[in-house]
This record gives sequence, structure tokens and C-alpha cells, in this order.
Amino acid sequence: MTFEPFEAFTDVEDLADKLHDADASVRRVAVMELADTADPAAVALIGSALKDESAEVRLQAAIALGEFDGRETAEMLVIGLVDADPRVARAAADSLAELKDPAAADPIFPLIGHADPRVRSGALRGVKELRRPEALAYALRALEDQDPQVRVEALGVIGYLKAEETLPALIACARDPMAEVRRTAVGALAFSRSNHAAEALIRALADADWSVRETGAEMLGKGRYARGAAPLLAAINDADWQVRVKIVRSLGQLKVVEAVPQIAAALGDEISNLRKEAAAALGEIAHASARPYLERYVDDGDPDVRKNVRWALSRIE
Amino acid sequence: MPLANTSTAVPVVVDEGKCIADKGCTVCVDVCPLDVLRISELTGKAYMKFDECWYCMPCEADCPTGAVTVNIPYLLK
Amino acid sequence: MDEIKAGLSEIDCDVLVIGGGTAGPMAAYKAKMKNPDAKVVLLEKANVKRSGAISMGMDGLNNAVIPGHSTPEQYTKEITIANDGIVDQAAVLKYAQNCFEIIQELDKFGIRFQKDENGDYDVKKVHHMGTYVLPMPNGETVKKALYRQLRRARILISNRFMATRLITGKSGRIAGAVAVNTRSGEFLVVRAKTVIMSMGAAGRLGLPTSGYLFGTYENPANSGEGYAMAYHAGAKLANLECFQINPLIKDYNGPACAYVAGPFGGYTANAKGERFIECDYWSGQMMQEFYKELQSGNGPVFLRLNHLHKETAEHIEQILHTVERPSRGRFHEARGTHYAETMIEMHISEIGFCSGHSASGVFVDEFARTTVPGLYAAGDMASVPHNYMLGAFTNGAIAGEHAIDFAAEVDFEEFDRTDVAREQERVLAPTRREDGIPPNQIEYKVRRLVNDYLQPPKVTRKYELAQARFAEVREDLENAMVVRDSHELMRAMEVASILDCADMAACASLYRTESRWGLYHWRTDFPERNDADWKCHVLLSKQADGSMGCEKRAVQPYIVPISDDEKDAYYKQRITAEA
Repeated sequence: MTFEPFEAFTDVEDLADKLHDADASVRRVAVMELADTADPAAVALIGSALKDESAEVRLQAAIALGEFDGRETAEMLVIGLVDADPRVARAAADSLAELKDPAAADPIFPLIGHADPRVRSGALRGVKELRRPEALAYALRALEDQDPQVRVEALGVIGYLKAEETLPALIACARDPMAEVRRTAVGALAFSRSNHAAEALIRALADADWSVRETGAEMLGKGRYARGAAPLLAAINDADWQVRVKIVRSLGQLKVVEAVPQIAAALGDEISNLRKEAAAALGEIAHASARPYLERYVDDGDPDVRKNVRWALSRIE
Repeated sequence: MPLANTSTAVPVVVDEGKCIADKGCTVCVDVCPLDVLRISELTGKAYMKFDECWYCMPCEADCPTGAVTVNIPYLLK
Repeated sequence: MDEIKAGLSEIDCDVLVIGGGTAGPMAAYKAKMKNPDAKVVLLEKANVKRSGAISMGMDGLNNAVIPGHSTPEQYTKEITIANDGIVDQAAVLKYAQNCFEIIQELDKFGIRFQKDENGDYDVKKVHHMGTYVLPMPNGETVKKALYRQLRRARILISNRFMATRLITGKSGRIAGAVAVNTRSGEFLVVRAKTVIMSMGAAGRLGLPTSGYLFGTYENPANSGEGYAMAYHAGAKLANLECFQINPLIKDYNGPACAYVAGPFGGYTANAKGERFIECDYWSGQMMQEFYKELQSGNGPVFLRLNHLHKETAEHIEQILHTVERPSRGRFHEARGTHYAETMIEMHISEIGFCSGHSASGVFVDEFARTTVPGLYAAGDMASVPHNYMLGAFTNGAIAGEHAIDFAAEVDFEEFDRTDVAREQERVLAPTRREDGIPPNQIEYKVRRLVNDYLQPPKVTRKYELAQARFAEVREDLENAMVVRDSHELMRAMEVASILDCADMAACASLYRTESRWGLYHWRTDFPERNDADWKCHVLLSKQADGSMGCEKRAVQPYIVPISDDEKDAYYKQRITAEA
């Protein structure tokens, strides 16, 4: 007896009838089978299931479209995004975020102005990875949105496009009342190596929220903003040790020789993560003045601290 | 040597009220890397036939109706 | 379902890929992309949708060589040192040069890597020397994205077919494989111009401390068939004595994910809450330190996150409980343990073979070629060390592209039909018996013996006792194992591979009379590293008389030289603090 060993490539049309079955569960299974075909011809049929009377079938259709790409898929998903059932809308938003084809952005743009904030967020999240320059105008308008999640998603779109002209808007968002918006804005504006960006990052070092200060400190070092040196040094006694870790790291990346005594003071901190980072930073700076401090900690009880101390000393040699 | 039947508590539980295996769904059975789930000829619903579970969760994550729950096997719980 | 049916089909293809986990789908995809007219078949014991080590995704890349963060040469040096010098660098360097392109391609597939607010890869520094970690906090969709690409490329997928033996021709070249359906017992004979093996680790070798056969560190479907099949086909296997032993969450037996927690400030600690690991890169040396701390007065060992902000610890917890092994959330819930509040008890895994984390694998060169012409291997079962998931993808791609060109040059290799009949008879023998010993009991016994005798520290006499006991179990397996349905037949074939792997682990370990790779090959009666005699590979293979044997093979001259200074730079940092 012989048999067919391969997974089938079912004809999409053969599954179409099942979408009209009286039983919603059968229709739901049909949607899953359509997704498995991976055939672009299935998109329109799955899209038609987004108008099914059963929310379960619509949910399945919204999930299934995540397996496809392109403009037509986006046209279907925007139907799901405005679905009255929140589960369907959420699944459609997740599937929109899977799209990779830039052409998929066009049907999504108009929804950035939708009345429902969840739709606006989902639409912005959907266009982010597509990196279409036309998205900027929509996203900049969305920065004025009442809903903080919409503002965060809009910052995501703008941050990915790295356009210098968006800087004033990003800087304004770094003063947003919501900490998550400020943190996202501080991260997003760091593409710009301008003095204005540096000033905004420096202001973030004084933010009320630790996560904003942490991001500001990290970005000043990552972007090698020389202007950040003195403000970072001034902030080195931040109340939060996780922020101090980033400050010390950035001072190392910026090779701030004047910071050596204060970084060295952190070698004696009770938190080993901070001691480790301090030793690494002194190695980055590699200035002879650090040697006596480092020598005192070659036998620190923490192996990661010891390793970094020894590495730092070898850099000074 | 003759064989015995020793009972064992299995970690994967299927809510038969939610399971749509009788409508043609085979998702949990398909995705199990250890192939331990089956559809009962008696009830038409999915169940765990073999106590050979890696508690990895595709069966639960991919079930369209939320009918499957993966528990941690008793021996390592 | 599951009753054993008589059935046999035969198919032909240009490239047969065995194993649809990580390396396999990439190999099949790349082969098909390079020659869309070729017939590429992907064979999988489970279902490609959710099979292999990454069935529920992966939470990060541990070895991403990304321009601006690290260089291929630096990575090659690091792996050479982490693997105590036993490395043919060509394959490591090639991986390092190709992997960034693969990351970008996976990104296009829809696999999600962490990016910063400007859309650039958010690479993290975890190791002391290089910067290689790219987190994937949303990496739960890896398999879905891969499957989508395979379907779009219209690759022929055969799910629930378990390959049992490779077929070689008269000249020794690869001719195909025999497979059996795990739900019907029907046979599939695949004639192939080339075969790529990507069958994962031998992860069901040692028995987890819980005693639950399937509660392994690796996906237990990765039961070592790749190693066993390569051996029986005459391929050479490298450095099998370099076991895999990994740190894990005790009892749960899932990865502790120091690479996830590290960038946030989490770390592996002793009972005092202090770091103790001197070694920088994941290696046998690191596991030796872990093992010693476990046994010491400062033990046991814990994953420590409770010094971090509650928000930070909970963020890490959320990633760990969503991606790769998500049921760990349920495990901790039942125990009432929260990462923000308490340190989480860790332990070490059972032993296995897995080049993904160590170095043991079917010997391959920089084109993923084994020593059998036309046969390739990639991923956890191939000998490129410290490969992880990205290595499986990258080397799978290399294998696929090389194999498809090879297939264009050759015709099908002739083979002896009686080989197929003999293999069918071997597979079906346990189904012919009325009673006997079921596979699960044989498996428990083999793996219990592995723990008793093979788990490091390695003792010569214990290894010899293990060999004697394995021979007794082999008698039972060949003459008394009974199987009642096709599912049990799959387990029976698996336990045969497990026993082969146990024998290989013993044979290779006894051959290398020195200690190397920290805990992985710690021989108490040869406690020192001996570079004069053993700075070489050990290759194990089936000898002409059918017995198992080993030979030495020189390490290829380094392409990226490592000065003594650099070696010292690593060792100096490892100096233990004065007590």
C-alpha cells in the first residue's frame, strides 16, 4: 500500500464553502485551514470572515491575517481593527504589527485619526515598522492626542524615521505629564547628535521618574554627547542605583577624565552591579590617576568586579 | 514478562465544553512535539493519551478556543 | 489512530532535510531559494509548526556578531578560548561573518529582535570581552514565521515521519534515508542526492533529577537520532566527551536565562546572594565553578533579581514567562515564588550532547559537510561549537546552499535494496513479540545508568561498569523489547538512539585520558589538562569490524591567531580572590 507523504497545499476555493457553514465552529476551522495554505488568494476570503456574525470567527480571521502581508491584508485588517468586540480589535492590531511590506501602510493611515483611541494606537503600531515617510505627518498630529498610549505609539513611528525636523516635537514630548511618554521621547530623540537633543537628554537627568533619568543617562553615553559629561558628573549621586549604573557607564563611554575620583568612589559601593560598572568605566577612561583606586579593589569579593578591575588596570599599563 | 497497566496523572487538561475537535479542529494534536494528544473516538474531543509531556505549551497557546490547560507534571511540580 | 499498518512509499528528491526545528527549515528554504526547480523535502518527526528546541520561541541571541559591536575575528578568538583551543576556526569564523545577514533576513521573516526607539538593534553587553547579546522579548513567534516562509516557498513537508537510518551507496556516498510514520508504522524510503541532518541535540540522555523522563532541559523529542544515524552511516563524530551540562531552574529544568537577566543587572548568585562565577564566557569551566559552588558551604546556587527595582524584576519575569519556556510562570506560581522577592533556586542539568551549548557533534567543516560524501549536518548536532539558535540558522543556510549545488552535480547513488528490507525488519522486530519489556522501562534504565556512571566527575572504572551494563540492556532492547502501537514504536526507535549515544559518550570519554572543558570532561584519575598529547579533536566512528572506536585528529592551524598575552588576559581575570 502506498500513500502521499507530504503536507497538502489545499486549493483555497475548496475551503470557501466551509466559510458559509451554519456552524460557527466549522467556519472557524475553515479560517485556520485557509491560513495554513499560505496562498495570497486566501486573504480576501479570510477578510470576508471579518464580517462574520460570530465574534469567534472574526477573531480567528484577525489572527489568521497575521500570516499574510501586503496592501490587501492591511485593507482587511483595518476592518478588524474597528470591530466592536475588543478581542477582535486587539488581534487585528497585533496582526497589523506583523506587516513588513511598506505598501501596506496606505490603508492604515486614515485610521490614525479614528475616534477610538485603541484604533489610533493600533494603526500607529501597524505603520511603525513600515517606515514610510508619509507616516510622519499623521504621527506628529497624534503627539497632541489625549490618550498617552497613542502618544507613545506616535513617538515610536517618529523615532524609527529619524527625521531631524521632528526634533522640536520630540523635545516637547520629553516634558509630557506621563513618565512613559517622556521616557519614550528621550529614547527616540537620541538619533539626533544636535545640541538641542543633548540639552533634552541632560534635562532628563533631573526627571522625577527614575526610568526617564535612566534612559537619559544611557543615551548621553551611547550617542557620545560630549556636552553630557559635566551634567552626568553632577548627577552621579542620583538617589537610584540603577540610574547611577547608567551614569557611570556613560561617563566611561565619554572618557571623562575629571570623573575619575567620583567614579572611583563608587568602587566601594555596597551594590556589586555598581562597583562592576565603575571598574569598567575606569578602564574605558584608562587614566593613570585611577590606578591607586583600582589597586585597592583587585581582591573585591565579587568576581565580576575583580575581572573589570584587572582589565582596567591592564588598560592603564 | 506480562505487562501491567499503571495509572498516572497527566498534566494537560482539555475543557470539553470549549473544545471544537468534533468540528474538525486538530490544532493541539498537530502542534505537540511529543505527539501525546489524541482526539477521543468516544467524545470527539481532544485528550492527553500519553504521559510524556515537556510542558512546553504550544497546545495551549495555539488552541483557538482556550480549551487546553498545561499543568506542571506532578513529579517536578 | 496508532495501529500499525503495512505500507511503503518511495520518493526521490534533490535535497532531503531531516529535522524541521531550527537549522532544518533554514536549510530547506535556502536550498529552494537557490534553485527553485529543485525538489526539496523536509522530514519531521513531529510537526514543523512547533518542533525542535525553539518550539515556543527564543528569548534572545547569545552570539550575535553585529558590526559596530563586535567583529568576526574577536568572536572567533573568544570561542577558541572558551573551548579550550579545540576548534577548527574556519567554521566558527564563517558563522561569525554570515550571521548578521541571517539576523536581517530573519527580521524580514517577521522574527522580532529588540530594537531601540530609533529602530536599531538594541545589542547588550553581557560578557566581559565582547558584545554579543541581542534580546528577543517578543521572540515567541519564531516558529510561526519560519513555517510561513516554508509554505510560501512551497517546500514539501512530511510531518510525523521519523527517519531511522541513512542509506549509503556502494561508494560510501549518501543515497537517502528510511523513515517510519509515527502514527501508522508505514515506511517511507527517500532517495536523495544529498541529505542534510538537522536533528537537534541528544537531550534525552541523562535523567533529570525529578525522575520524569520527559522533564529534560532540551526538548525531549531531541533524543539523539542524528548522532546515532550519522554513526551507523559511517560518519565521524567529534569531541563527544565534551558533554552538555547547563545551569537551570531546579526541578522545572528550564533555562535560567542569565542572558535575559544580565543586561538588567540580574545574576547567578550563591546562598549569600553574591556572584561566584569567574569565567567570562559560557563554557565547561563556568559549569565547573557552578558545580563546585553547588557542593560548597556557600551553595546551593540561585538566580538573583530581588535586588533590582520591582518593576525591573517583574519586567524580566514577564519575558521569561512568555517566551521559550512559558510554563515556568505556572511552576513558580504553584510554589509561590516571585523573582522580585526571592532568589530562585538553580541546579545543573542532566548530561547530553549539544554543540549549541558546548562542542559535541557530528564532525563538519565550514560548509557543514560531514565525512560522508553528500551528507551534511547543522545545528545542535553538528560540531561547530557554542552555536546556539543563530548558529543553527546560519549553518543551516550554509548547508542548504552548498547541498543544492552538490545535488546539481551528481546523480542518485545506487544502493542495495536489501539494506531497506533489513532496516524495516529491525524497526518492526519489537512489534512481532507478544510480550516483553516496553520501551519506557528500557529507557528509564539506560538513563538511570547514565546518571549513575557517566555524569561527571568521570571515573574510569565507573565508565567500564557502565559499558558492561549498557551491553546487557542492549541484549534486552534487541531481543525482548515489545511494542504495541506506532506511538510506542517511535519511543522504541528513540531509546535505541539513546542507548547508542550512551555508548558513544562512554567510549569517547574513556579515550581522552586528560581533563578538559571544565566539568564537561573532568576525569578524576586524569585531573590535569594535557596539551602535549590531547590538544586535538577526538573523532569517534564505527570501525570496519562494526565496533566503536576513536582516533585523534589535529586541530587545523588557527586563522585568527591568539597570542599568549590574550590567553593570559582571560586567565588573569579568572584569578580567585584570596580567602
